[in-house]
Amino acid sequence: MGEVLTAGTLLGAAGGEGGAHGASYEGLFVYLGIVVVILFLFLNSAKQGLNNRVFKKWTTQWTEQLYLFIENMTVGIIGGHGRKYIPLIMALWMIIFVSNIVSLFFPTAPTADLSFNLALALISIGYVQWEGMKANGVAGHFSHFAGPKLGGGLVLISLMIFVIELISEVMKNVSLSLRLFGNIEGGHQAVVAMNELGAGVYIPIGFFLLPVKLLTCVVQALIFTLLTCVYISLVTHHEEEGHEHGHGELAGAH
Amino acid sequence: MANQKSSSGLPFPVILVIGIAMMAGGFYVSKNVHIEFLTKLAEQGISLDPGKTISAIGVLLILFPVIRSFYIGPLGDAISGRTAELERTFTEAESLRSEMTQMRSDYERRLVETESAAREQIQSEIRKAQELRGQLEADARSRADEYLHKAQADIENEKNRVITDLRLHVVDLTLGATEKILGENVDSDRNRKLIAEFIDKVEVPG
Repeated sequence: MGEVLTAGTLLGAAGGEGGAHGASYEGLFVYLGIVVVILFLFLNSAKQGLNNRVFKKWTTQWTEQLYLFIENMTVGIIGGHGRKYIPLIMALWMIIFVSNIVSLFFPTAPTADLSFNLALALISIGYVQWEGMKANGVAGHFSHFAGPKLGGGLVLISLMIFVIELISEVMKNVSLSLRLFGNIEGGHQAVVAMNELGAGVYIPIGFFLLPVKLLTCVVQALIFTLLTCVYISLVTHHEEEGHEHGHGELAGAH
Repeated sequence: MANQKSSSGLPFPVILVIGIAMMAGGFYVSKNVHIEFLTKLAEQGISLDPGKTISAIGVLLILFPVIRSFYIGPLGDAISGRTAELERTFTEAESLRSEMTQMRSDYERRLVETESAAREQIQSEIRKAQELRGQLEADARSRADEYLHKAQADIENEKNRVITDLRLHVVDLTLGATEKILGENVDSDRNRKLIAEFIDKVEVPG
């Protein structure tokens, strides 16, 4: 009965080949293809509305609002030079959001796969490191990992801080990918469990989780991009503000 | 898109090659490389396939610049263009407003100048009219005096003529009366002269 509900309701999103273990290699890229097709159909529709001075198509209006939102977020967190990161942040937001939306209507989705989320996190953190090296130089960027300059026997402390910071940078990938995976895959598991609860009375109880899952889709895309902005801000703020000030304050934010 | 650079600064063809290579490499890793730790992790419910991760990175490396050039770039340009157009419109409106203000102050200044010029012209015309009136009055007075003098002269002349005529008439009457009295003709020149002298002596002045 649970399988019937899974096939019959759009929320039966925990099925598929991989189930809790994620989709297969081919399955992941089929779903990624679905995401790309949906995304480009939407963007193509939105692009047709760009010709007007005032955007009248709803798709264009939505993307305009998203662009302004991302612009406010990047400029608010990173600063005036944050505008150049808008394309990356907006692309990340759209891919994650559409992928999350796909998870509402299909048995699985790219963001329900830890491997794909890790790829997103590696790109995000890798880009942050690249920007950090561009802003501070390779030596300058990695010297930030050692904290404030200490002399004498305290160099050992700097070494420890350096190792801890390196681990912290690696763990950023883990936290970004696991958070997204946990929320999307957790939503699937919750739907399956609630559908099984209602199987005896033929009620897809999991359907009622749709609003919460929809909220999760938006919030998770927001969190991922917001944290990327914060990480970029950490490595590019040194030229505008004091190192200790910027690092200390923003580190507390996450 | 071929000439565009991605956020990392690399040209798109390079990104494309790297992406395709990573996709192929990821496929190979997924099918041929098995790590014990990841197998144990999968048994615990967390499936992690490095091959999928590598391939996904390859796909995303290609996807980001494509999305950027396909939509986000044009959207940003459209929004920036619109913002610039709005700023230009506001600047033009502000310029027009200041121009209008300038024109208004110019107009008011010219109005004041015109009013002042009109006042001066009116005063000038009034002065001219007053001068003309004075001149006309003087002319009229002069001509009236002239007429008066002429009339007085005429009166004097007429009076003198009448007096002369009257004198002659009186002389004639006197002579006639005397002739009647004396019965003889005394109308000689000498008598006339005597009578005239007499009348002159007895004439009342004025």
